[in-house]
Amino acid sequence: MPRFLKDFFNRNGFGMGLAILGLVLFWTVGLIILPQLSMLDFSFRPNLPPPEIGGPKDVYTLENYKYLIYGPEGGSQAYNAVDLRVFFRTLLAAVCVTIFNLILCYPIAYYLGQSKGSHIRIFAIMLIIPYWINEILRAFALRIIFGETGVLNTLFVGLGIWDTPFDFIRNDIALYAGLGYAYILLMIFPMYNVIESLDGNQIEAARDLGAPWWRIHWRVVIPYAKPGISSGCTMVFMLSAGALAAPQILGGPSSLWFTQLIYQQFNDNNDWPQGAAYAIVLLVTCILFVLAMMRLFKVNMGDIGK
Amino acid sequence: MNNSFLRVSIWVYLVIFFLYLLGPLVIMSVTAFNSSAFPRMTPWECLTFQWFGELFQDQRILNGIKNSLIIGAGTVVLSVAMGLAGALMLTQIWPKLRATYYTIIIAPILIPGVVLGISTLVFWDRINRMLGLGADSVLSNGIFLTVIGQSTFIASYCMLVLVARLQRYDVALTEAALDLGATHAQAFRKILLPFMRPAIASAAVLAFLASFENYNTTTFTFGEYPTLTIELAQKVRYGITPAISALAFIIVALTVFFALLNEAKLKRQELVAAARKKATVEELAGKIKLPSFFAGNMAAVLLVVFAVATITVVGTATAYNPGQCIANVKEQKRLEAEQRIQELRKQREEQRKKREAEEAQQGGAQQSAPKPSNNSGFGNVFAPNTLGGDTEEESSEPETPPSNNGGFGGAFDPNSLQTDQ
Repeated sequence: MPRFLKDFFNRNGFGMGLAILGLVLFWTVGLIILPQLSMLDFSFRPNLPPPEIGGPKDVYTLENYKYLIYGPEGGSQAYNAVDLRVFFRTLLAAVCVTIFNLILCYPIAYYLGQSKGSHIRIFAIMLIIPYWINEILRAFALRIIFGETGVLNTLFVGLGIWDTPFDFIRNDIALYAGLGYAYILLMIFPMYNVIESLDGNQIEAARDLGAPWWRIHWRVVIPYAKPGISSGCTMVFMLSAGALAAPQILGGPSSLWFTQLIYQQFNDNNDWPQGAAYAIVLLVTCILFVLAMMRLFKVNMGDIGK
Repeated sequence: MNNSFLRVSIWVYLVIFFLYLLGPLVIMSVTAFNSSAFPRMTPWECLTFQWFGELFQDQRILNGIKNSLIIGAGTVVLSVAMGLAGALMLTQIWPKLRATYYTIIIAPILIPGVVLGISTLVFWDRINRMLGLGADSVLSNGIFLTVIGQSTFIASYCMLVLVARLQRYDVALTEAALDLGATHAQAFRKILLPFMRPAIASAAVLAFLASFENYNTTTFTFGEYPTLTIELAQKVRYGITPAISALAFIIVALTVFFALLNEAKLKRQELVAAARKKATVEELAGKIKLPSFFAGNMAAVLLVVFAVATITVVGTATAYNPGQCIANVKEQKRLEAEQRIQELRKQREEQRKKREAEEAQQGGAQQSAPKPSNNSGFGNVFAPNTLGGDTEEESSEPETPPSNNGGFGGAFDPNSLQTDQ
C-alpha cells in the first residue's frame, strides 16, 4: 500500500476512510471521467441498431465528425453549411452575451462591493430571487414581454413609436435578452467577491493623486478584479453556449442553437453517436476557446473558481 | 457637482438594472390574474383566479411535481454525501495530486448540462448492455439516470459550499476526541458533523433547488418520469396559457417568502448578538432583553406585510366571482366582432360595386368578355380581404349572405364552373 494511502487510513480510520474514498472514486471516476470517455468512444462509432452493437460492423469511424463538416455523403453542397453556420453563430452569440453581461454587471458588482449599509443586503436578495425561479419560467416571462402582443409591443405601438408590432422573437432579440438575463448572477457574484476585498484606501489614494474616475477603474479596480471577471466570463460563456431551454423557448423558428441540433440528433433522428460527436465538438471548442482567452488576457487557471 | 452627477447616474442605473431583473417576474405574475386566455397584461380584461384552479387540476403538472420531489430528494442525499467526501479528500490529498483532483471535481460546473446528460445516458446504457440487463432494468430507469446525471455537477456546488466551512475546522478537535477514546466514526458523527451542520444545510437547499430547476441534463435522462421542469418546457413550447403564469406566481411568492424569512432570521440573530455585546453582566445573568422582532429589521416588516397580502389575496379569491365581468368582456368582444363584420361587409359591397362598374365598362369596351357576374373558378379566394381572418367569424354568423364572400368564394358554386366553360 502506498504511503499516502496508509496515512489516509490512519487519519480517518478504516471504515470512514473507505467510505470517503469510495464516494470520491464513484464521483470522479464513475460519474465524471468514465461517462465522458464513454461518450468520446461512442462518437467514433456508426449508428447501429442494438443487436448489431459489438458485431462486425461496430468499428471506429470518423463518419460522425465528417458529417458536421461535409454534410451527408453525396449531398449537393461541399460543406454542411447549415450545421456549421449554426455552430459558429452559437459561439459568436455566446461571446456577445458574455460581453453584454460583463458591461451590464460590472457597475453593479462594483457598487455592491464598495458600498456599505443595510440596503446592500436587500439588493443581494433581489439579485438572488430571480435565480431561484425555474429557468423555463424565466424564459416564459420574457416571452410574455417580447411576444407579438406582448407588453413591449403594446407599449410602443400605444405610444406611437412604431406602428406595426416588432417581431422580437424572429430577430433574436428575445433570445439574447433571455440568455443575458439567465446568467446575470453568475457574472455578478465572482466579481463582487473580489471587489469586496479591495481596500477602499487604494481607490481613495488614486483619487487623491488626481486620477479621474475612469482611470481609477482602468488602473486599479479592473486589474485587481481580473480573477473575478475571468471566472464570471468563463461561466457565462460556457453556460450560454450550452444553453438549451432559452433557445427552445425564445429562439425564432429559423434560428437554431447548436445544442438544439444535438437535441434533435438524440430525440428526433435517434442518432446517438452523431449527437455525441456534436456534443464533443461543442465541449472541446468551448474549452479551447476559454483557454485561449485566458492566455490572451494572462489569467491563471488557479484563479478560476476562487 | 461631478460627484452628485455620478451618484444620480448610478441610482438610475440601479433602477434600470433591477427593472430588467425583476420586471419580467412581476409582469408574469400579474398575467396569472387576467382572464385573457393568452397570458398578457394589456388589455386587462377581468381579475380572475380560474387559472389557479386549472393548474391544480392538471394531472401532468401534479405528476411532474411528484417526480421532481423524488428526484430532488435522491439528488440531495447523493450530492451532499459526495460533496462532503470530496471536500474531506481535498483537505488531505497528496499535494502533487491536488491540482489535478481539484480540476476534475470542479469541471462538471463548467461542462454544458447537455453534455453531462448525454454522457450519463450513453455510459449507463453501455453498462446496462454489458451486464446483459433489459431495457426495464434499474440502470435505464429515468429516476436513477436523472439523479446520477444531476448529482455529477450538483455535488461540485455542494463541495464548494462545504469546503469553505471545512477550512475553518480545527483538526485538533478530532484528534482530541480520538485521544479520549472515540472511534473514527464517533469522532466524525459527534465532532465534525455538528460543526459542518450549517454548511450541510445550505448545501442541501442549494442541491434541491438546482435539481428542481434543472432542464438541460434532465431532458436527456428523464425517461418515463418527466419532472416539473420538463412538463413546463413542453407546455411552454407548444402553446402557453396563464395557468403557467399561475404556477410561476406561486413559485415567486414562495421564493420571496423564504428569502425574507431567512433574512429576518439572520438579522434577528445579529441584533441579539449586538444586544448581548452591549448588555451589562447583570442583564446577561438575569433576563436577556431581546430586541423586539421588528426593531431595525426591515426584512421582518416586509415579511409580515407579505403574509398579510397573501391572506388578503386568498380571502378575496374565495369570495370573489368574476363571472359577471367575464360575461361583460365577452359581450363587448362579440359587439366588436359584429362591428368588424359589418365594416367588412360594407367594404365588400363597395368593392363589388366598384368592380361591377369597372367590368361593365370593360364589357362595354370588349364585346368578347364574359358576363360580369362571373368570378372565375376560384371566386375571390385570392382577393386580399378573404384571408383577413374573417372566415371563422363569418362561419359563426348564420345569416351571412350566400353570395360570394365565403372563404372559398364561389368555387363550390356549381354555376360558376358551368358559366366558366
